[in-house]
Amino acid sequence: MTENNVADGGRRDFLLMATSLVGGVGAAAACVPFVASMNPSSDALAKATTEVDLAGIEPGAIRTVPWQGKPVFILRRTPEQISAMAQSKGGLMPEDEGKRVQKGHEEWLVVVGVCTHMGCVPNKEEKGWTCHCHGSQYDDSGRVTRGPAPDNLPVPPYKFISDSKILIG
Amino acid sequence: MFNQIIDWVDQRFPLTAFVKHELTGYPTPRNLSYWWNFGFLAGFVLVMQVATGIFLAMHYKADSALAFDSIQHIMRDVNYGWLLRYLHATGASAFFFVIFIHMARTLYYGSYRKPRELLWWTGQGLLLLLMGTAFMGYLLPWGQMSYWGATVITNLFGASPILGHEIVIWLRGDFTVGDETLSRFFALHYLFPFIIVGAVIIHLVALHTVKSSNPSGIDLAAKDNIPFHPYFTIKDLFGLGLFMMLYTWFAFFTPNTLIEAANNIPANPMSTPSHIVPEWYFLPFYAILRSVPNALGGVVAMGLSVLIFAFMPYLDRSRIPGGARYRPWYRILFYGFTVDILFLGWIGFVPPTDSTILYGKIATILYFLMFLSLPLFSRAEERMMIKRGLPPALQAMIDSESKGKGK
Amino acid sequence: MKKFLMTLAFSLTALPAFASSEAHLEKVQVDTSPAALERGMDIVTSNCTGCHALKYIHYRDLLGMGVSKKKVDEMRGDKNMDATLVSAMPDDAAMSAFGKVPPDLSLMFNAREGRGNYTYTYLTAFYKKPDGSLDNHVFPGVKMPDALGYSEAADDKQRADIKAQAKDVVSFLAWAADPHEQERLLFGKYIMGYLVLLTGMLYVLKKKIWARLD
Repeated sequence: MTENNVADGGRRDFLLMATSLVGGVGAAAACVPFVASMNPSSDALAKATTEVDLAGIEPGAIRTVPWQGKPVFILRRTPEQISAMAQSKGGLMPEDEGKRVQKGHEEWLVVVGVCTHMGCVPNKEEKGWTCHCHGSQYDDSGRVTRGPAPDNLPVPPYKFISDSKILIG
Repeated sequence: MFNQIIDWVDQRFPLTAFVKHELTGYPTPRNLSYWWNFGFLAGFVLVMQVATGIFLAMHYKADSALAFDSIQHIMRDVNYGWLLRYLHATGASAFFFVIFIHMARTLYYGSYRKPRELLWWTGQGLLLLLMGTAFMGYLLPWGQMSYWGATVITNLFGASPILGHEIVIWLRGDFTVGDETLSRFFALHYLFPFIIVGAVIIHLVALHTVKSSNPSGIDLAAKDNIPFHPYFTIKDLFGLGLFMMLYTWFAFFTPNTLIEAANNIPANPMSTPSHIVPEWYFLPFYAILRSVPNALGGVVAMGLSVLIFAFMPYLDRSRIPGGARYRPWYRILFYGFTVDILFLGWIGFVPPTDSTILYGKIATILYFLMFLSLPLFSRAEERMMIKRGLPPALQAMIDSESKGKGK
Repeated sequence: MKKFLMTLAFSLTALPAFASSEAHLEKVQVDTSPAALERGMDIVTSNCTGCHALKYIHYRDLLGMGVSKKKVDEMRGDKNMDATLVSAMPDDAAMSAFGKVPPDLSLMFNAREGRGNYTYTYLTAFYKKPDGSLDNHVFPGVKMPDALGYSEAADDKQRADIKAQAKDVVSFLAWAADPHEQERLLFGKYIMGYLVLLTGMLYVLKKKIWARLD
């Protein structure tokens, strides 16, 4: 067997490095479609916005709608709830009521119904919500009043298309 | 630092020894032509198919009510799903294309001959596994051609005189190809490639035991062997570049020519497309099936047409070294066989008429006759060559290589 | 080499041969411009979707095709952006009218031997039989009415107009069958260019490495 390992100057080494670089860049680029294919597909992204017709929700009643696969609570609050919430600043993470609802639509509370602790869906109680997984509590504005949840229920981006229709997302 | 890590590993695992034995020190005949690139290419296509297949399986639904839609979901909605699917569908054709050339090379240069019988047979096993995998994968899109192809092929087993009907029902898990069939084909289509990977390892172990053959068909002396790495790694990579261009051309510019029109129509068990044909890589064998007027005979003939390659080491009785390069009659037979199998492919493709059925029968008889006459034919050729004297080039090669061995 | 060329020739020639049985089809060049696609879409939604659905095409996909948001909003009315182009005719009504459900058009471009040429020729192959009844050269005994009115055309100019419409329809259906085609062709060009570069470099490197043996 002939084994001739005499290097023939720097040209081959440069060529070897350049070819390896070009080949490596190509191989890395070839991974992109594979990785990207695991991201949400366009039909999943199409569900990024949800239109909700608010007609038929009585005061004090709650409707849960899916938005990006997550439950969104839409609570139509009674005047008592509204005034109670306006006076309070919440519990563990004080937040003004004005940041929780939209001006002129104080009746409607729209929050993502996913406990900020470990992701369970809290249950509606007479007052506010309780998460049965680990006992966190939220008031009627979705603000956390008892741990271990670290934060208030988030308010998703939404706008009123008309008086009785909102677009979430 | 790097050496320390290697030392640490080497004390626990023969890494350096393995690389030296199988790559940097693995003796490879220096006269290998580019026809010897196709084994590496087959390995590459296998990896491509497994990679694209696993990512497709993340989006595919093996349910007769959802399968067709899920393919459209992949083609339209999944990020680069169209790319993965076209690569995978084109990859199946590429796999057979590469394997057929790999086999043709083996036949032409006589690489199946002693001591490479086991290497050849493991390759035969790989071909059968590949055919099974391709056939089951073809059902998954759940189009008309998928459905009727699977119906016809599973019915082949019904030709068996005993338990034929029961076997067909067992294979399908239903009275017709249905949801059960689809689920099991998907499970097995996912499993088989890993069996193929295992069989490839066995194939490579056998190869590294007997070493590569070479175009001369004579075992070369040590002086004419060179290390696999870097000489053949770079040659294989260059060949891969060329192959990728062909593959890219099909996968990106004309992928739909490889997909039957009827497979864009969802499977309909109530209506068969007017002209059903298997994928191109099954056409010659399909033609043999159609050429035998008896159902059982046709199935047996088709099975034999694939398995008969395994007998080559014993059918070829010539003791003249090398393959077609130095054997004039065998070379003619090889080209005749190539023409015959391509002709059978064409017969398998066209709708049957009286004349094509007749041509198919003749080509089928020739196909088997070429194998079965080989023992006599190769002996006669041997006598002729000994009488005339070996070709000077072959004689010189034998002399030079045996001298080298003496050293 | 001969063997290689033959194998190559076989795999290349055998495939387009799928279409060869439809030799009498007229050839049509698909127009991929957004204007042609939108014209084709308009013709399809006004002439075809009464009976045929395009169940894999969502309204949101039309935005990707290049239709304005305003127009898509008008087309979909109350329907969600994620809704598909369903046919106006319920399946059972179609069954009683035609004896079968008209095929979905999303994949029609690819689903017939001859691909676009089939649909193009089919749409312009309607004619009146001597007894006044309608038939089609490509698909004798077809149940579908002459959607573009080719059999009613009075003169060559009208026929040319209808052929242009058929071409737009085929262009739209080509997009519908394979919406990522343009992206794919673009990718293909870049990858080809890259492979030429890489393979060239590998070739030179191979030459250099093998030169050590001389």
